[in-house]
Amino acid sequence: MARNKFDVDENLESPFDIRHLKRAMVYVGRYKWRMILSLSLSALAVIIGLFAPVITQHAIDEVIPSGDIPMLLIWAGLLLLTIVVNIILATIRSKIMTKVGQDIIFDIRSDLFEHLQRLSFEYYDSRPHGKILVRIINYVNSVSDTLSNGIITFVLELFNIVFIIVFMFAMHWKMALVVLAGVPFLMAFIMFIKNRQRKAWQAVSNKSSNLNAYLHEGIVGVKVTQLFVREDENAAIFSGLSEAYREKWMKAVTYNNLLWPTVDTISATVSACIYLVGLLVIGPASVSLGTIVAMSGYAGRFWQPILNLANLFNNFVNAVSYLERIFETLDEPIKVDDKENAETLPAIEGNVEFDKVTFAYDESKTILKDLSFSVKKGESVALVGPTGAGKTTIVNLISRFYDVNEGAVKIDGYDVADVTLKSLRSQMGIMLQDSVVFSGTIADNIRYGKLDATMDEIVAACKTVRADEFINEFPKGYDTEITEGGSTLSQGQRQLIAFARTLISDPKILVLDEATSSIDAKTEKLLQEGLDKLLEGRTSFIIAHRLSTIRNCDKIMYVANQGITECGTHDELMAKKGDYYKLCTAREREEN
Amino acid sequence: MFQIKWIWENMKGYRGRYILALCMTVIGQIMYLTSPIFSQNIVDTFIYNENAAENLKNNSKLLIILCCGMVLFTLMRTVIQFNANMLYEKCSQGMLSKIRNYLLANVQKQDMTYYDRYRTGDIMTRLSGDLDMVRHSVAWIIKTLLESLVLFCSTTVFFFILDPLMALCLLALTPLIFIISGMLRKEVGPKFVDLRERLSQLNTQAQENIAGNRVVRAFAREDHEIERFQEKNSEYSEANKTASLTWLKYFPFIETTAQGLMVVHLIAGGIFVITGRLTMGEYVAFSGLIWTLSNPMRNVGALINDLQRFLASASKIIEVYYSRPIVVDRADAKEMPARLNGEIEFKNVSFSYGDTEVLKDISFKIGAGETVAIMGETGSGKTTLINLIPRLYDVNKGEVLVDGVNVRMMKLNNLRKNIGMAMQDVLLWSDTIDGNIAFGDSDMPEEDIEVFAKAADAANFVKNLSDGYDTIVGERGVGLSGGQKQRISLARALAIRPSILILDDTTSAVDLETEKHIQENLANLDFNCTKIIIAQRISSAKDADKIIILKDGMISEMGTHDELLKNKDGYYTEIYNLQQGNIE
Repeated sequence: MARNKFDVDENLESPFDIRHLKRAMVYVGRYKWRMILSLSLSALAVIIGLFAPVITQHAIDEVIPSGDIPMLLIWAGLLLLTIVVNIILATIRSKIMTKVGQDIIFDIRSDLFEHLQRLSFEYYDSRPHGKILVRIINYVNSVSDTLSNGIITFVLELFNIVFIIVFMFAMHWKMALVVLAGVPFLMAFIMFIKNRQRKAWQAVSNKSSNLNAYLHEGIVGVKVTQLFVREDENAAIFSGLSEAYREKWMKAVTYNNLLWPTVDTISATVSACIYLVGLLVIGPASVSLGTIVAMSGYAGRFWQPILNLANLFNNFVNAVSYLERIFETLDEPIKVDDKENAETLPAIEGNVEFDKVTFAYDESKTILKDLSFSVKKGESVALVGPTGAGKTTIVNLISRFYDVNEGAVKIDGYDVADVTLKSLRSQMGIMLQDSVVFSGTIADNIRYGKLDATMDEIVAACKTVRADEFINEFPKGYDTEITEGGSTLSQGQRQLIAFARTLISDPKILVLDEATSSIDAKTEKLLQEGLDKLLEGRTSFIIAHRLSTIRNCDKIMYVANQGITECGTHDELMAKKGDYYKLCTAREREEN
Repeated sequence: MFQIKWIWENMKGYRGRYILALCMTVIGQIMYLTSPIFSQNIVDTFIYNENAAENLKNNSKLLIILCCGMVLFTLMRTVIQFNANMLYEKCSQGMLSKIRNYLLANVQKQDMTYYDRYRTGDIMTRLSGDLDMVRHSVAWIIKTLLESLVLFCSTTVFFFILDPLMALCLLALTPLIFIISGMLRKEVGPKFVDLRERLSQLNTQAQENIAGNRVVRAFAREDHEIERFQEKNSEYSEANKTASLTWLKYFPFIETTAQGLMVVHLIAGGIFVITGRLTMGEYVAFSGLIWTLSNPMRNVGALINDLQRFLASASKIIEVYYSRPIVVDRADAKEMPARLNGEIEFKNVSFSYGDTEVLKDISFKIGAGETVAIMGETGSGKTTLINLIPRLYDVNKGEVLVDGVNVRMMKLNNLRKNIGMAMQDVLLWSDTIDGNIAFGDSDMPEEDIEVFAKAADAANFVKNLSDGYDTIVGERGVGLSGGQKQRISLARALAIRPSILILDDTTSAVDLETEKHIQENLANLDFNCTKIIIAQRISSAKDADKIIILKDGMISEMGTHDELLKNKDGYYTEIYNLQQGNIE
């Protein structure tokens, strides 16, 4: 599995893809009516806005010269009215667009998160978690404005430009051409920077991703850092990442900042040209002086919206660099998913069968080859063998965390690949090697196994795993908050909580992967007694190194050499004098 | 405002450039205001002039000069403004980098109690979203503020010269803006505080989901997670809307006041023209410059809004910035030799987390080079006890001595560089395997890494990985089995050649044969080292020079294997029988 780490950029080799835009438009499209409404309001505001100059013009030309003060007040009132109406329209539009913008990012973020929930371990295992986090939170936030207000501004300014072009041509087409002559220069400039700018912003998003990845690990791994006195070195690495980010950022904003001076300069040049062409080339003889003045005014009004569009373009290029990443994540294939006609797995009885299963995490290294075995309902199976031989892999295949390459894993005759993941996993109790607990109270954590569990059920589960006692010693008992820092609970206590969490889910098949490794022998023995009663009639798979745990199982499987080399009860395997026997006697020698 | 003072402090090294940028902004703004002079001149000379045609004929050079001047002047202005903008970027990025680097360094220095209070997602929010808000203000809020100020002041002066009474009439609306902005400030401030709190919660929710992705899958709780995330997502979304709508509540009033200037101008100006106080030309001059008053006025509102947002974020960062760890070097810390002997003594040590007392009156002594095993029930305080040696926490009562010196009197770096610790909760970095082993000494040569990997019995499985020592392990070591992770973590601890080696249940997930190898290797290290081993198995403990049994935070038994077995009712004997009985 190719893994990514904090100082490796995640390359994205796709050229600029118009489909990103189309896809973004799908999110925008959901709110098209509100978008159209606010567009109409804006258009209306523009029209009403046209009245203001007319009113002032009239006041200057007619009312003031006439010296009619009451009349002046009336016109002033009219002016105020247009202003107020305009502002009301603008406010309503802004309110609508604020909501639309927020709704769009809510949608994108929801989709992203939902998709992430369907991705398998592999996705999470192959990149720093900070890089996933930054996409859900920071990247999504960065695109909101461009996708809401940006679009409205774009349409409005486009209208504005068209409107003015028509006006200019109607007035004097030759002069209009002079105004438009600046456009090809701008286009050439945009063509010139477009790809560089896009690359630069992609680099920024990459560097920010790296930075956040390291930050995240720095926080999560702080204890190790302190123990190994690595603070200074880590800080230096982080400064390096910070510096790389700053460098790319400066490069990207240089392109952004170049755009508007270019527009400004072209605009000024065009204005100058109007005077030159109007006065010297065409000559006052064939163009009225009023037209020249008016045209220079229009030139300003033509280039202002272009300037706004240029700013929009900048934001847009920036947003696309984030959108690409978001869509990339959304496109991440779901490796293990419900088949189209997946059925719901009925209540599990507990017969598990491996039928010629072959499995490899990656092509180069086969973990299991042609493995077949069957376990009857109610049996407890211990998996033993050297670390890395594939014990965890076997139990992972039962819960379909990975799909087999060949063969099938069957529960009660159902191929696990043919049933829905939810119906499969919700009937299994899987206790993993690292017992992650979430922040929240102890009761909340246990309730995770059964969302509607009553307090009595929670207490009962905790009593079974012998956690009740220590929980009650906390001043707040089951309402004790568990913190990430972990001073509240010891590792062993965490395992007990995780154990209770698994038990309360009433699993039909129980998988314990080193579930009790951090629990002391005495507690484990008590726990075992409680567990034995509970496990009656349920199938269980146990990975453990402690013989005390192993030897009580109905069946012991020795996992090695891409399969199971020995299988039987403790006594049978001891009689066989094979690998298991060696394992046990090694232990015996040690003890004596 | 403290936040602004804090920013200024962090602008050191960039202050000069920042002030230069501000000056350039003022110049640029003034050039912007004066740029119409060129077109004005052209119009006055060549268009609306009695001798326009003549001027054009005789003085077309002047026209060309004026036109070129117009372009050059704009070019100059944009060059100045471009450079000013780049300086703002440079300064704000510089400040951002500086603060961010300081924050990471500071966060790393915080002791464990800090991490009991703050969640990862929350710290992440402060160092990403909040920090970006601060950058934004340094880069743009101040610039916009200054531009508005220049515009407003220069026009005000000009207006007063033109006609003081008219100027006063126009300025009469200004106080209104401040009153409205003041109201906005009061109302929107808490909204932004709430908003960034929601962002922090959203971040935390997502972060925990990613960290716990295996548990989520194992319990098929995806739907539940989505539901919980959506709740936070929607709360954040609502908070965003609320903050924006608060702004929009005041926006119409601010905007009406700003644009109301046009109405004032029309009424007052009109009356003044009618009464003969103003000429029509003066009236038009005022009207052409009305925007220079109204734009700054409307900016005030937006700036107040942004400023509140900045303040909400900045105070959250400042909280991290000024956090000081409790466990620190004392000013009178003793100079110790770089390599300690490794004698350890606990003298009447008590320790509690908050109200919960975890260790009570612990006393024992370990000679240099000795091996001590610590056993005890889950939650009896084993891990807490060893955490006190490298001062991950400081004791409440009593003292921990290393080489006869209270650890609180030592320099943290000095002390910790002598301690190699493999924790129970193995935490590897998303880095290569050799990078992980050489974590404590990144200059370590390859051969040494291999030596330590061998000592931890990891060399064999590492060799079998597709990329060997260059294999990248996932965050927290995912991709490796529990036993493999433990061995890498052990190699990492050994690699610093510690004088004190602490193993917190480090072999719980390795098979028995491997454990035996490791124990043999540990007994034959090529450097002197005191070993403290927390263990569950008798096999790991029995050869120790001393075995300490903890019960409810107190030492209940202490002695050698044989000594402890004499106590028939003791915990050690009980465990011994339990594990022995299994073999039969």
